[in-house]
Amino acid sequence: MKICVCLKQVPKKDSILRIAQDQKWIDERDISYEMSEADAYALEEALRQKEAHGGEVIVISMGPERTRQSIKEALAKGADRAIHLDDPIFEQATDAAGIGRAIAAALKDEGCDLIMTGLQSDDHGFGQVGLIIAERLGMSSATIVMEVQIETGSVRVKRELESGWFQWVRVPTPAVLTIQSGINQLRYATLKGIMSAKKKELREVKAADLNLTADDLKPLQSIERAYVPEKSKQTEFIEGKPAEIAARLVEKLRFDARVF
Amino acid sequence: MTSYAEGKRVLQGGSFLLEDHVPEDVFTPEDLTDEHKMIGQTAHEFTEKEILPLDAEIEAKDYKLTRELLRKAGELGLLSIDIPEKYGGAGLDLLASLVSAENMSGQASFSGSLGAHTTIGTLPIVYFGNEEQKKKYLPRLATAELVGAYALTESGSGSDALAAKTKAVLSEDGKHYILTGQKMWITNAGFADVFIVFAKVDGDKFTAFIVERTFPGVSVAPEEHKMGLHGSSTCAVNLEEARIPVENVLGEIGKGHQIAFNILNIGRLKLGVSSIAGVKRLNTIAVEYARQRNQFGVPISSFGLIKHKLAQMAILGYVSECMMYRTVGMIETAMATIDRDDPRQALKAIESYAIECSIMKVFGSEILAYTTDEAVQVFGGNGYSKDYPVERAYRDARIARIYEGTNEINRLIISGQILRRSSKGELGLFQAAKNLMGEMLSPSMPEDLSDGVFAQERQALANCKKIAIAALGSAAQKYRDKVQDQQEVLAAASNILISIYGMESAILRTEKLVASRGEAACRNQIDATRVFANDAVQHIEAEAKTALAAMSEGDELRMMLATLRRFTKFIPVNTVALRRQIADSLVEAGRYNL
Amino acid sequence: MSEGILVFIEQRDGALNKTSLEAIVAAQRIAASTGDKVSAIVLGNGIANVASEVAAKKLEKVYTLEDDRLNEYTPDGYVGALKQAIEKLSPRFVILSHTYQVRDFAPRLTTALGKTFVTDCIAVRVDGSDVVFTRQIFQGKINTDVRVSAESPVFASFQSGSYRADLAEAGAAAVEPLAVDMSGVTIRTETEPKFQEAKQAVDLTQAPLIVAVGRGIKSQDNLPVVQALADALGAEIAASRPICDNEWLPMDRQIGSSGQTVAPKLYLAVGISGAIQHVVGMKNAQTIVAINKDAEAPIFDIADYGIVGDLFEIVPALTEEIKKAKG
Repeated sequence: MKICVCLKQVPKKDSILRIAQDQKWIDERDISYEMSEADAYALEEALRQKEAHGGEVIVISMGPERTRQSIKEALAKGADRAIHLDDPIFEQATDAAGIGRAIAAALKDEGCDLIMTGLQSDDHGFGQVGLIIAERLGMSSATIVMEVQIETGSVRVKRELESGWFQWVRVPTPAVLTIQSGINQLRYATLKGIMSAKKKELREVKAADLNLTADDLKPLQSIERAYVPEKSKQTEFIEGKPAEIAARLVEKLRFDARVF
Repeated sequence: MTSYAEGKRVLQGGSFLLEDHVPEDVFTPEDLTDEHKMIGQTAHEFTEKEILPLDAEIEAKDYKLTRELLRKAGELGLLSIDIPEKYGGAGLDLLASLVSAENMSGQASFSGSLGAHTTIGTLPIVYFGNEEQKKKYLPRLATAELVGAYALTESGSGSDALAAKTKAVLSEDGKHYILTGQKMWITNAGFADVFIVFAKVDGDKFTAFIVERTFPGVSVAPEEHKMGLHGSSTCAVNLEEARIPVENVLGEIGKGHQIAFNILNIGRLKLGVSSIAGVKRLNTIAVEYARQRNQFGVPISSFGLIKHKLAQMAILGYVSECMMYRTVGMIETAMATIDRDDPRQALKAIESYAIECSIMKVFGSEILAYTTDEAVQVFGGNGYSKDYPVERAYRDARIARIYEGTNEINRLIISGQILRRSSKGELGLFQAAKNLMGEMLSPSMPEDLSDGVFAQERQALANCKKIAIAALGSAAQKYRDKVQDQQEVLAAASNILISIYGMESAILRTEKLVASRGEAACRNQIDATRVFANDAVQHIEAEAKTALAAMSEGDELRMMLATLRRFTKFIPVNTVALRRQIADSLVEAGRYNL
Repeated sequence: MSEGILVFIEQRDGALNKTSLEAIVAAQRIAASTGDKVSAIVLGNGIANVASEVAAKKLEKVYTLEDDRLNEYTPDGYVGALKQAIEKLSPRFVILSHTYQVRDFAPRLTTALGKTFVTDCIAVRVDGSDVVFTRQIFQGKINTDVRVSAESPVFASFQSGSYRADLAEAGAAAVEPLAVDMSGVTIRTETEPKFQEAKQAVDLTQAPLIVAVGRGIKSQDNLPVVQALADALGAEIAASRPICDNEWLPMDRQIGSSGQTVAPKLYLAVGISGAIQHVVGMKNAQTIVAINKDAEAPIFDIADYGIVGDLFEIVPALTEEIKKAKG
């Protein structure tokens, strides 16, 4: 079983985010990074499957130099080798289509049985890259996966549907699975793992290696302006009889806060 | 792991006073390798997810749990950083061990148990054990199957450790030493399996023994009722004709003091590290509270006097971190030149930085005291309540100034070691003092400031070193071999040395940072360094006056004071404005952010 | 030249997914500025009821796409069918609701068509000849305006609640079957019956909705009042320290400095005063609602919505209202 995990490095969850001067992204100074949470669960699931069935776990990530830290973390946790798409040209790829295209190109000849990734990243949150790779490589797919059972020639997974519903589906391998956060317990990188990671292969891939040009990765959608959502600092007090309060609060939760 | 040290020059312990170190010499947190960062991350995540959620249970002295947590930490390799691979450890460098200690300090009681186990409980065997002892104990200490402890102190011998009364007598059949005595304040005693016990063979040969809890005659007294660290076990250990097999003598008979004192150097460094981590953590807690607590209709973080406290905590956290990494970097560089597999060489390398280790212990524990005290103040009445975390932090921190050598003992070590090494010819203090005399007698020349971010600070640093050289030189000259009786003068000199080390470490790291990131990205670090240097010059002046007035009088004193004035010329920086800026940045970030 | 807006209508077992109506509203908003006609498309088998329900909205047409291979939702079936439909209809925009089902197939569809897909939008506006989508990044901490430079059709999905379904303009649309050739479509997914399961282990950090209870609850006997609210919302129940110290709820439900730190979408604090040790564990929640009888309670300093009053009156009313709203 050859499993590839697509990882994205994103600003740490507790980062205080400020808008960059050009108002197109966040100010990345002073930001620490980590593996996107759902990707970390995908990695964990891949490692567990490898431990149960044997095989190899490859991690792939696209991003600048700093991304190596997360890649090395994956190697320290037990991945066997890594591919780092590190090239200024890849920085062109700011939408899901470009990212998916580059990663698919890099994985085209790997012959993975499974590709796992988080259901969406904690930064852009496109929620598309996994399926773009699947479509580009002609692989079957299942998303928002809660449990994975590897079978011969196929994989049976439990998918989360909405409002507490689930469904088991079976797809033939090779398949792309997008993994839901919290489906397993993440391991720590042990000191042994950290030290042995140094000896593992970390292959750097340039755009030219994939026959991709900046033009190929030009985004089809782009952020024109990033801004902090207006949040009324003032607490909005809701008054009235209990029933009125309840009705108004539900409306607020539904349409302003959009919690259900 | 040690790639950092390659190509670096080895700097002698204590040489910071007499030589100019340059930014390239100093190791900084920015120089950590990815591996070190990952070790830090593992330690941090483990603490956040496994330890902090069980805070209440740990504080309730659930030692079964503490053991279980130690075992889990062992599974990750966190207990075996200092243990050679041959004996089931990871065999990593000191830096790895400190990065881990820093990140595991979040729950003070557990951090105490962990430190007692991995440092003073395990390292004596790593450094002084023979092959059989290492094979027998280290692999099981690495996994916390066995928990270690260190039993040096007695009711009558604390700082004066060599006055221990516990005696060891060889049994008639020559197979056992019979130990009799009582050891006090033994961390982990309530559940430890292996104790490093110090006793005098034949009444005078101070010797270390590996004592298992189950050996006949060994018993542990009930828990002490402590001011803080309620979740760490502290008991007396009674040795009533305890029978210790002769093969459990650790090191040589009569050489126990080497073990006792050398292990403490590392202990001090680790205590320094966890104190610094505490300062940063409490700074964040205070910032969070001050942002949120409203008085007079505004958050208290908008008040200058609160900003002062928040900024000062951060400044001290930053400066101490500069000192710590610099110290560890020097030790690592020295270690790179020796045979690491020879633990005695390693220990000797560490020993040569005893001055810096003591500085870290004193400075770390005292800035932690300042920070916990001011954190309580920021919390106001709430800070005095057990419902808020700072009340406990305040109590937990108090022991840091006492154990691993009281700060008084460590202050005597700092300047005492400089003098001792100088009289042995290892440090050039006396020549420097002589040269300085010549300079002092010649008319003062207007000095040109160098360029750079810290022009004035660098000049002040050079001058403060002269003050320290003059003070120590005078003390040596005046008191000769009786200098150790002049504790107050020695302490004043040590305070000057601590300030100098802090000032220089901050300048060097910040210059290194500015070189790589540019000035604009290092605003807080530059400001923190400036404020610290400004205050250091004032403190140094005051300490120098105390020392000089104690050592000289009349014309001599007047001449010395005139020189002091010359060396403490410093245009005060606007520390009010700088602290406000730092505080504003902390409040915006919502945490310690230097 | 492509024209018109096509709205994807989601159904399950012949029942309309209400968020599809929100997608209709989004499409109608765009159409109001661009003058495009809005049509809808619904896939499956036995979808007449859904089609006629949707046809009661102001739409040009409701296309139905029925095939045995669409009996049960599969990504291959939906991608295969919609790809042909979209190529045939050639709309300028395809609007979807950002549901789990859409997330499971739409990125494949847009990739197969070589088009761009703006996911999880919360608003859209027309700016001259351009359409600007608003989507959130960093889990809602930051908003972005997104412009598209791809050829039509442009795909966009909208987060549930972005538009109010009850504001969909009414009308009477013709229902028109659309024929596609499914013979070449291989369905790779084998599906099993859907099922529900009781939530088990608590990982509050993963819970999107949390109802937390504090000292104001007074006694363990009163907990069911709050539990009912949590159940109605589909939320996890959590507590401040005193509740767990009293063992009214297990320790793993505790939020705060000595418990868990959470950042859910909704944090509903019931009878919690807001001591800092608690607040540090939940202040990053996206929306904070506080119910407390003390108007001066510090929890109101960080709450988005505050209700000053007796929780024993307000909580049951709220529970009822939520049940009603969730239908």
